[in-house]
Amino acid sequence: MTPRVAVVVFPGTNSEDETQRALASAGIAAEIVHWSRAAALRSYDAYVLPGGFSYEDRVRAGAVAAHDEAMDAVIAGANAGKFVIGICNGAQTLLEAGLVPGTGPARRPTAAFAPNASGKFQSVRVHVRLVVPPERVPALAGLAAGAIVPAWASHGEGRLAASAAELETIERDGHVAFVYCTARGHRVAAPNGSALDAAGLVNRAGNVVAIMPHPERDAWTFMHRDGDPEKAAARGNTQAMLAPSGGMIFFAAFAAGLGVGAHR
Amino acid sequence: MSAFVERAYVVTLTIPDNEAFTALTTLARLGLPVETAVRSDIWVATVEAGAAAALDLEVATIETIYNPNKHRLEVREDAGPRPGEVWITARDETPAITVAGRTVAGLRGIVRRTGWRLLDEGGGDVPPDVLAAATEQFLCNPAFQKALR
Repeated sequence: MTPRVAVVVFPGTNSEDETQRALASAGIAAEIVHWSRAAALRSYDAYVLPGGFSYEDRVRAGAVAAHDEAMDAVIAGANAGKFVIGICNGAQTLLEAGLVPGTGPARRPTAAFAPNASGKFQSVRVHVRLVVPPERVPALAGLAAGAIVPAWASHGEGRLAASAAELETIERDGHVAFVYCTARGHRVAAPNGSALDAAGLVNRAGNVVAIMPHPERDAWTFMHRDGDPEKAAARGNTQAMLAPSGGMIFFAAFAAGLGVGAHR
Repeated sequence: MSAFVERAYVVTLTIPDNEAFTALTTLARLGLPVETAVRSDIWVATVEAGAAAALDLEVATIETIYNPNKHRLEVREDAGPRPGEVWITARDETPAITVAGRTVAGLRGIVRRTGWRLLDEGGGDVPPDVLAAATEQFLCNPAFQKALR
């Protein structure tokens, strides 16, 4: 049976369309579900929280959404083993909800994506590398060991912060799923000052993943930067320019985790 | 050598505060008996004693901090939260040496905080345990913030 996947939208979410399209391209027919349909969310098999500025980042990025009724279903689903992916603001919401790293009770965050070390909103193309064994992250079952995902880091609050003891736990227990790296996979300092160079976290069971950079903003060839060899080669070829590539491997991996689909 | 003093500039909206209302909605969802949430942007400055009055005037002319059409500005010589208030600050806050980009003579540093005051039905402060619960469950993420009470 095809799993039902919800792209959960809060007031202020702004990346739901491209996230849904990336999921569709990976073979997942996800539905956009607004926060006002909180009760309906329980019937879904997996959840994707896209980027944006839920509730205008009031109080703290993701804090209000984390307490929204819609998150009751997401938290219950995560605890029941359903797959949950959060991208950017969705990732911030998952941390505020306590689902990642998942070392404390629900809605009692033990870590945060805090304001960037620069104190500014940053938008830069990055690469992130899977640094845990693929089997540690069933939600992204299709990723190969050390997989490199291109994406756009576009946020003002993406710096992993926690107490020293908590950071030790996060590192020791393999909660850092992705670190920032070069296109060839060499680890680099996080552009936002993130502790442990973390770009993405995973919970203990591996069914909840929070990633700050946006893979859906680098998911088709036409989205790549000018000068990118793949994009340069596609010039004059509409089909090649519109082909899934780059960050699409993230969504294909999610599809594999759900046991569905392939690129189309 | 000059002595330094602290000044707190407490800036509160006089028009409806959507952020405070959103916070109030979340506090209600948490089951906390709060009728009104009052939020303030607070700038705590350390300044040479002889330059404090000039800084007071300077802050009052920076519209990105204080706009008399929509804000109330309270200048305090005590730079800490008063009973009934909680101030949220970053654990790793770094004082700025300019105020909204302006250089001010005698200023050693200035930090920004968010102040919350929660009121009950009668307009009085909620009991301390309610303020504490609101802080721990929502207003402060201890992973990178601390609550001053």
